[in-house]
Amino acid sequence: MTVDWGLLAEKLPDVLAASGVTVAVWAASAVLGVALGAAVAVARRFGPRPVDLALKLFVEVLRGSPFLVQLFLLYFGGPFIGLSLDPIPAGLLALTLYGSAYYSEIVRAGFAAVPAGHVEAAACLGFTRAQTVLRIQVPEMAVLVLPALVNMTVLLLKETAVLSVITVPELTLEISAIGSETYRFVEALTLLALFYWGLVEACGGLGRLAEARLSRFRFAGP
Amino acid sequence: MSLTLLALLVRAAGLTVAISGVSIALGLALGLFVSVASLSRRRLVSVPARVYVSFFRGVPLLVQLLLIYNLLPAAGIDVPGVVAAVVGLTLCTSAYQAENLRGGFLSVPRGLLEAADMAGLGAVQQFRRIRVPIAVALTLPTLVSEAIMILKASSLVSVVGVVELTRMAQDLASSTYRPLPMFATAGALYLAIDWTVAGLGHALERRARWGRA
Amino acid sequence: MTAPGESAAGGTALSVRGLVKRFGAHEVLSGIDLDVPAGRVTCLIGPSGSGKSTLLRCMAFLEEAGAGTILVGGEPLGFAETPQGRRRLPPARIRAVRASIGMVFQQFNLWPHMTALGNVTEALRVVRRMGRAEAEAKGLAQLRKVGLEDRAGHYPAQLSGGQQQRVAIARSLALEPRIMLFDEPTSSLDPELTGEVLDVMRGLAADGMTMVVVSHEIGFAASVGEQVAFLDGGRILLHGSPRDVFGKPRHPRLERFLDTYLDRGAAMLA
Repeated sequence: MTVDWGLLAEKLPDVLAASGVTVAVWAASAVLGVALGAAVAVARRFGPRPVDLALKLFVEVLRGSPFLVQLFLLYFGGPFIGLSLDPIPAGLLALTLYGSAYYSEIVRAGFAAVPAGHVEAAACLGFTRAQTVLRIQVPEMAVLVLPALVNMTVLLLKETAVLSVITVPELTLEISAIGSETYRFVEALTLLALFYWGLVEACGGLGRLAEARLSRFRFAGP
Repeated sequence: MSLTLLALLVRAAGLTVAISGVSIALGLALGLFVSVASLSRRRLVSVPARVYVSFFRGVPLLVQLLLIYNLLPAAGIDVPGVVAAVVGLTLCTSAYQAENLRGGFLSVPRGLLEAADMAGLGAVQQFRRIRVPIAVALTLPTLVSEAIMILKASSLVSVVGVVELTRMAQDLASSTYRPLPMFATAGALYLAIDWTVAGLGHALERRARWGRA
Repeated sequence: MTAPGESAAGGTALSVRGLVKRFGAHEVLSGIDLDVPAGRVTCLIGPSGSGKSTLLRCMAFLEEAGAGTILVGGEPLGFAETPQGRRRLPPARIRAVRASIGMVFQQFNLWPHMTALGNVTEALRVVRRMGRAEAEAKGLAQLRKVGLEDRAGHYPAQLSGGQQQRVAIARSLALEPRIMLFDEPTSSLDPELTGEVLDVMRGLAADGMTMVVVSHEIGFAASVGEQVAFLDGGRILLHGSPRDVFGKPRHPRLERFLDTYLDRGAAMLA
């Protein structure tokens, strides 16, 4: 078994384009997922009880079923209810919804982790509720939930590989195609695995760096 | 949804449970081994264990499955898809369980082991009687959520041709031209299984509380 | 009281010679000599950081000293002096010597996943290979001795601190040690729970158990201790009967140490 580097070099432009799709879909779904997840968490915490229960169901269903099934349901089932999406938008939407369920739980845990005394102190000092959320709860919580956020975002990167199943032209699809075209499946997949591994490790490293910077004040004082 | 179709899906769900259950059990055993290796003071043992954990946590399961599915025949090992699926899921979950158990072992209070030293328990006895039960109990919630992750991730073995729940739903969706009910039913079956496992997990956690409130 | 150097067989249960222990650059024990007389209570007192707990942990071989020897019933613990120098003994030898030592910890260190009886019988079953019925009979007898037979089926989390410490004492006694070491056994207990533990220890002393106790309970040291050693800065500063050590005129360092404790007590009353 030898690696035909020349052949792979020839395919480099396609590979680069596909990694662009992977990174773009990942970044977009992470940003949108965090935004939607935060909205869900805030609505559940401050909204009326029926909203909380409805959103709890949304979260539990998305967290309890496989992403692949959700993707199939949206992509193949969507057209039957008038929702015909191309692979990329379908993949992006599914990934955003899936991510938002997990992100919302992380934000919820963050709200719970901020000591009640800090919120009470803000109230005593005359902060409005919005000011308390924005100036006290969100910054404190950001530090507490950062590791979980990084973890989930890395998970989302790995989940983008599943989008190949509905022919989103991302890296796994492209590399598999090259592999079967050239009968160099194992070599191609090995390189693919190394690419994801490197990216995941880099993200983890960046996350730890950010954590170290942000958590300066956590250990200050008694 | 006719009863025949539902029965097909339920039977396929049985395969999903079987594949996941076997992988979780094997992965736990392998993960225990890897976590102990990763805590070794010999770098020759701990570094490979950490690379193993990093690799299998860093590569998408789908890519791992495709790799194993293609690697085994290339290496002259001809196994049915189900076996390749179990191997892939086991390797992946063992890395997560190893990382989890590593944290558990590190959280076992030193004093409990000193007490065991004084009672004359040897290293192996301490491992079996003190360290493993306490590490597993400390990490039980994470172990249960990892089991649920694997149940869901087992849907990916459909891609390498194993006709478990997701693949069955896919096949029925294309043969009946009714993807919505098929995938919705499959999703509901996954939810039922996951919630059952979560319930069992909570019961286990209650048992492993040893009198704590 | 036994003076250092005199080691009549049967008279001395444990003897320490020239013990030195460093943590990094910091010398915690700077040459300790101490004889523990058999059947008597030896109390180690001193300010925190004086090295008294480290000395006790060396006697249990939970810490390995950098120099010096410890003899338990005449047998070297952990290290032996040979013509080639100091050498670590094989684990089986260490276990054999350590089997005659029981240890009671400040934090109890009961195994949380076993009941009180389970904690007491664990080593009997696993190490001594005793049958279940025999081990449990023995375990229950030990729990009865510390007044907790009716708590045999309780998990540590279901017991008060004082009860946990009494179970821990029973766990050690079940292995029939010749020497019992106590590392601040009442320090993590609420004041109203220290009495029940001290009572058990008094009972043991009355039965003739050889005990070494690190404690801030000066009253216990003065009333039960046959021998008191006051440690400061890694050395034994004062050493003798409670009357010798606590009697006036007192060493200024001891005076300051006792003042701190009296102040603390006064603060509690205020």
